[in-house]
Amino acid sequence: MSQTRRLWWGLGALLVASFSVLLYMGGEIHRAAPPMPEAVVADNGETVFTRADIETGRTVWQSFGGQQLGSIWGHGALVAPDWSADWLHREAVAWLDLRAQQAYGKPYAELGAGDRARLEAELKPDIRRNTWDGNAKTITVPAERAQAIAEVQSHYVSLFGDAADTAALRETYAMKNNTVDTPEHRRQLAAFFFWTSWAAVTERTPGEASYTNNWPYEPLVGNAPTSSNFMWTVFSVLFLIAGIGLLGWHYAVYHGKDKAPPPPATDPLRSLVLTPSMKATAKYFWVVLALFLVQIFLGATTAHYQVEGQEFYGIQLAEYLPYSLTRSWHTQLAVLWIATAWLGTGLFIAPAISGHEPKFQRAGVNFLFVCLLIIVVGAFVGQWFAVMQKMGLAHNFWFGHQGWEYVDIGRFWQIFLFVGLMLWLALMGRALWPALKRRDEMSSIVGLQFLSTVAIGLFYAAGLMWGEHTHISDVEYWRWWVVHLWVEGFFEVFAVAVMSFLFVKLGLVRGSSATANVLFATIIFLSGGVLGTFHHLYFTGTTTGVVALGASFSALEVVPLAFIGIEAYETYMHSQATPWMARYRWPIMFFIAVSFWNLVGAGLFGFLINTPLALYYMQGLNLTPLHGHTALFGVYGMLGIGLMLFSIRCLKPDAIWNEGRLRASFWTLNIGLSLMALLTLLPMGLLQLNAALENGYWYARSAEFMGKPIFDLLVWLRVPGDTIFSVGALILAWFVFRLWVAPRNAPLAIEDGEAARS
Amino acid sequence: MIAYYPQIKAVHVHAIGLSFAIFFLRGLLMLARSRFTNHAALRYTSYTVDTVLLTAALMLATMLHQYPFVHHWLTAKVLLLVAYIVLGVLALKRAKTRQAQILAFVAACLTFAMMFAIARAHHWAGPFASLFR
Repeated sequence: MSQTRRLWWGLGALLVASFSVLLYMGGEIHRAAPPMPEAVVADNGETVFTRADIETGRTVWQSFGGQQLGSIWGHGALVAPDWSADWLHREAVAWLDLRAQQAYGKPYAELGAGDRARLEAELKPDIRRNTWDGNAKTITVPAERAQAIAEVQSHYVSLFGDAADTAALRETYAMKNNTVDTPEHRRQLAAFFFWTSWAAVTERTPGEASYTNNWPYEPLVGNAPTSSNFMWTVFSVLFLIAGIGLLGWHYAVYHGKDKAPPPPATDPLRSLVLTPSMKATAKYFWVVLALFLVQIFLGATTAHYQVEGQEFYGIQLAEYLPYSLTRSWHTQLAVLWIATAWLGTGLFIAPAISGHEPKFQRAGVNFLFVCLLIIVVGAFVGQWFAVMQKMGLAHNFWFGHQGWEYVDIGRFWQIFLFVGLMLWLALMGRALWPALKRRDEMSSIVGLQFLSTVAIGLFYAAGLMWGEHTHISDVEYWRWWVVHLWVEGFFEVFAVAVMSFLFVKLGLVRGSSATANVLFATIIFLSGGVLGTFHHLYFTGTTTGVVALGASFSALEVVPLAFIGIEAYETYMHSQATPWMARYRWPIMFFIAVSFWNLVGAGLFGFLINTPLALYYMQGLNLTPLHGHTALFGVYGMLGIGLMLFSIRCLKPDAIWNEGRLRASFWTLNIGLSLMALLTLLPMGLLQLNAALENGYWYARSAEFMGKPIFDLLVWLRVPGDTIFSVGALILAWFVFRLWVAPRNAPLAIEDGEAARS
Repeated sequence: MIAYYPQIKAVHVHAIGLSFAIFFLRGLLMLARSRFTNHAALRYTSYTVDTVLLTAALMLATMLHQYPFVHHWLTAKVLLLVAYIVLGVLALKRAKTRQAQILAFVAACLTFAMMFAIARAHHWAGPFASLFR
């Protein structure tokens, strides 16, 4: 059996095994999810909440942006609190207050340490007791607790309205007045928050961890890391070291044995015949840059809301463009422009691979482009109406805001996007078909690229697997299929295959060795990547099995990153292989930046928050966007820009590139991103971590702590980095603009002649 | 945040002084036809100082709730800043003739003086504020 065939079998076996476990555990998550009661009743017979209250409350939460304003079980935005942790703390304090008044005639806060300790010790078993009745489908709470719940509920009714007593808190949380339209909806919203908090503190079985594996850390109610949380953290580090050792051995034995072929005398891609459909992809790249610039503006606005919760330099911006909306669009656009860059690259490169332009391919490329524009505009308009509470709950799920971070456009728009991806898949397939039928040394690499295309198309469907009222644990499971598997997994396969193909096409790497490398790399990162999905789900109402699998396999995701320097060096050497490779200097520099940020953003900052014990304290603190920004833009953004520049280089073969502009753009983007990470996100995250460790998670997200002047100062320290970054993006956009508007072109013959002489 | 007001204002004022000093030095180098006028070290120092200056300015505006296009004196300052940047670019780089370069440099210095006066007076008319009060 040839090496390539063995690798294909290995990949196939890995995918079957990994997805079998992933799906089986999905079933387990569904079975073990925290129960949704028909009613929450007090032991005096009064109904506290009904199921309808909780479910409508969730729809209300989704309608104003859901995870884009505060978070639930640690997943979501950072400025407002984690509502589950906030409710839990407020309810515990309210209950303790009632008992303090009863026992000592004064508030809990005024008691001595001994009396407080006694009340807390008595409260812990009471608040953690599981009173779920599976037959009656009810949760029963003591009347005293119901009173505490009512107090917390009134706080939320005030907070999500426009009451004066919570105005300062709304300002700190970057919430607009009347975030929720009616008092009844605010009451129902509180019911949903209560239920998530109930799951966070209630023991799944007596004496064991809560439904959320004791997340959040809350000493007041006995929520602390579980023993399995600690053990799987230790094991995951061991797996990581073992993985690095094994891969190091593999590199030592097998890597770099193939001698690179002598590079061609001239650039093979200069003779590339541009088909009509390839030319039609140019507009994809223009839109990429437009979306990138808008995304940066929205990011700056979102960050500004941390300083002025409702204003933007004197403009009452929250009345027209509230925080949850700017953040929704900022995060959505990040995925959209990067995906558009990749879709455009795919459509550009497919006819180049096969040398075949199918009939009506150009029309298909143009049609898909129009569809994508309609989806972006339509989905965003729907989200505006939802967040401004002008849509109503009935249509919110389909046309408004689903509230699930990164997959929060309305279901109608999701389906439309899926159809668009199927169209992309069809366009890619028909253009690649002749190459897929060929049997040569490129077959496998083309096959893998097509498979990743199929995966990109089909796996977005995971985002359609939940309904309006599907259990939140199940939604989170499928959501991470999209965010982790789709974006972090199959886009990665696609990118590796495309980059390898480009180097083969340039004559710098042999097809056979590129194929083996791509297949091996795919096996390595999917071996950790597929089941690594679970590391996002440690605390979303799942069981210990999820913690174990997530910790073990996500640690393996970091293994290839330890050797990324080798890949970066090889990529750099490709750029030095021959003088004509100077034409591709800047796309390759962006590919090298991908390697750097893969190590720093994905590897270091990712692993910082990856193990169960670390994530237990760090989830939803500023260490999360530290990883998010440096990995999403640092890796996928840079990759998107690199691929875009490569495609543009071929689209405009005669254009003289303004090296100064690209140099300035490259360095300002990288320096800006580094400054954002090091001056703001990392120090803020570490301060929050310290606060969480010392006082409980709620405190690290509280207005009391986040309102400290040091945080304002750290947010302001984003301005230098963000300004530099924005300048980089503007220069890049100007560079591309000038390639089409008044470009400087070099005669083909002169440059080729120079290359041939040297 | 207001706790840091004196420090941030000091940073802003010192950055303004330094920024203008660098610009003035480059202007003199331009007049002397020196090849150091647009030296990378001077340019990058200038970018760094200006970024700090801008950050401190935004922080002060937010702290004091005084904003351009809301408060006239800040509006005037921002508009003059745009003019100052354009004149500076003309003086140091873009102007086609020597005469235009010198003219742009002098105009940039006058514009800076006007911005300084507006900032001191907290009035859009700067040194002529008493005429409009």
